[in-house]
Amino acid sequence: MATEHSIAVGTPAARPDWQALARRTWRTRFTGQSALLAFLVVVSVPIILPYFWMVVIAFTARTGGVGSDVLWTACAVIVPAVLVYSLVHMSVASSRLRLATGLILLAITGTLLVALVGERLHLNNFRFLWRADFVEELRSKATSGAQFPSVWRAFFNSLALAVSQTVIILTVASLAGYYISRFAFRGRNAFLQGLLVLHAFPAMTLIIPIFLMLYWIGLLDTIIGVMLVLAAIELPFYVFVMKGFFDGVPWDIEMSAMTDGATRRQAFRLVVLPQVRVGLIAVAVFAFIRAWEEYIFVRTFLIENTNWVMSLYLFWVADDVMGVDYGIVAAVAVFYVLPSLLLYVFCQKYLTQMTIGGIKG
Amino acid sequence: MARVELKNLRKEWLGATAAVAGVDLAIEDGAFVAVLGPSGCGKTTTLMMLAGIYQPTSGEITFDGARVNDVEARGRNVGIVFQSYALYPNMSVLDNIMFPLRFKAIERADAERRAREIAALVRVDVLLDRRPSQLSGGQQQRVALARALVKRPHLLLLDEPLSNLDAGLRLTMRTEIRRIQRELGVTTILVTHDQIEATTMADRVVVMNGGRVEQEGAAEDLYERPDTLFVASFIGSPPINLFDGAADGSVLSVHEARIPLAVSASGPIVLGLRPESLQVGEGGTPARVTAAEPMGREVLYTADSAFGVIRFLEAGAEPRHREGDNVPLGFAPESALVFDKASGRRLDVRIAA
Repeated sequence: MATEHSIAVGTPAARPDWQALARRTWRTRFTGQSALLAFLVVVSVPIILPYFWMVVIAFTARTGGVGSDVLWTACAVIVPAVLVYSLVHMSVASSRLRLATGLILLAITGTLLVALVGERLHLNNFRFLWRADFVEELRSKATSGAQFPSVWRAFFNSLALAVSQTVIILTVASLAGYYISRFAFRGRNAFLQGLLVLHAFPAMTLIIPIFLMLYWIGLLDTIIGVMLVLAAIELPFYVFVMKGFFDGVPWDIEMSAMTDGATRRQAFRLVVLPQVRVGLIAVAVFAFIRAWEEYIFVRTFLIENTNWVMSLYLFWVADDVMGVDYGIVAAVAVFYVLPSLLLYVFCQKYLTQMTIGGIKG
Repeated sequence: MARVELKNLRKEWLGATAAVAGVDLAIEDGAFVAVLGPSGCGKTTTLMMLAGIYQPTSGEITFDGARVNDVEARGRNVGIVFQSYALYPNMSVLDNIMFPLRFKAIERADAERRAREIAALVRVDVLLDRRPSQLSGGQQQRVALARALVKRPHLLLLDEPLSNLDAGLRLTMRTEIRRIQRELGVTTILVTHDQIEATTMADRVVVMNGGRVEQEGAAEDLYERPDTLFVASFIGSPPINLFDGAADGSVLSVHEARIPLAVSASGPIVLGLRPESLQVGEGGTPARVTAAEPMGREVLYTADSAFGVIRFLEAGAEPRHREGDNVPLGFAPESALVFDKASGRRLDVRIAA
């Protein structure tokens, strides 16, 4: 009997201690989540801190020097508040309670900040917005002699560059992407591979030939020249992205539109394009921001100060061997970063979908 | 409404064999025809050529006698329902149904009235403000049907319209589509791989295989008098029993069985016996039951016999024979089908009683 019992396969195990198992699961989950949160906080510090410092300097620095005391004071108020809120956010289930705590914390930090650093805040660093001759104040007239255009000139140059980039890239990438996605033609695969190679190719290596070409064509030192160069360099990637989005639109829908009486062009406009809306928005935002932040090409191809874009303006404000007014540099930087920041905030939900590239019915 | 004719229609893809290899078909005005065949037999390709989406390699398509080969899809006035329904996700149901009317010279109010009429006909009139993503499969199907019908097409094409629906809905939609087709009298071609769909909905069934029409006719003809081995094996569920054998003058030898022939024949043949034409009764071939599968109102048996492994059906919910039982298995001589093994064509060979 005993031997028989020992060979039996399905000996019932002892009844498991469900509560101990549940506790263990909870412990593992809690430590895992806390570790993840701690890691994210640590890695985000070097990203967030410089931006925060930039904003702090822009609103507090006075000519002559930059102190970090305001930064540390502000951090001392804000960091505990953020920590307390994240703890509350994790542990409190009721959303109303979370909102209430959030508001209370916001009120406390707001009051503390006003009390501690309120009188140090000022807008004087932003005077470049309305005074083009602020540089002459800082440096001697002799060295700066009406070198600086109004910031709005640079702003609108940047805007023109970024908007035209967006328009060119959207138009060409959507049409080319659609064609590559839908039509079989000789050399299609070679073309696709070519696009990838072009994207992988470091464009910087072309900067001297492009400079010479622009000079010969007569587009050197014009916004249009930079516009064309940037579009040519950026397009392969966006064509590829748009092709991916069009690949996700089922054929049936297009065929259906054409049997319904639409021409191919109408089918494209009325049925296919609305379905790649997310892709179009994502491509538009990236193209805009890419042109907005462009530095190397504009630095090389634009010379006259009337052609400056924002990145060049920022560079020239910061460029001074005699000592820099960091307050103004930071203020220009804040002004420069604002449009892309706003764009990101408004289009964020579309941008996160870009990697998926999928179509929802 | 139109009479549709296909003459020696072919479609060849680059570097591949012909998807459609010479199809001849005439469809009367107002008829409901089902094109039935396994996947890859060229039925959908034929449909796409009818719709004008694919250009035929050769051959002719005529609507009411006029050649339409070179008429674009949008000019053919054909309504099509795709397997995936292909509704436009960016538009409401009403806009989906009205979409085909955008391209015609119709006032918006008029178009909307027509769309509402057709929506009532297919019973989606309460869903008009919704988006396609908010509809169930059956509702999407109805909307697709409404969209195909709203322009009063000459020809309605249905590409496996029921295959994405669950069993219950499929049953309702089958009768619904039939009702709507009768009411409007529109010439309709249904493409399907499901023989029940084909035989229940259509007046006439066309069986396709390998890019060719194997046989066309009424459902019962295809079942009782299949022209080819393919049609015999494709139609009927559970499938027909097929046995390789040889005819030698007046005797047919299949495995261990010898069957007398009424008409003499010779050469390798295939004998086909429908599971439902076999009966347990005195004087039959002995068979030993190896499995019994109750299927509701009948039982499907598998048995070893002189012919080889054979399946037969018996009415009744409960199995009357059990595994290991020996039963005598007989069949009516006229129900046996004899095919030439080499060509696959049915031979006019009668088995002696």
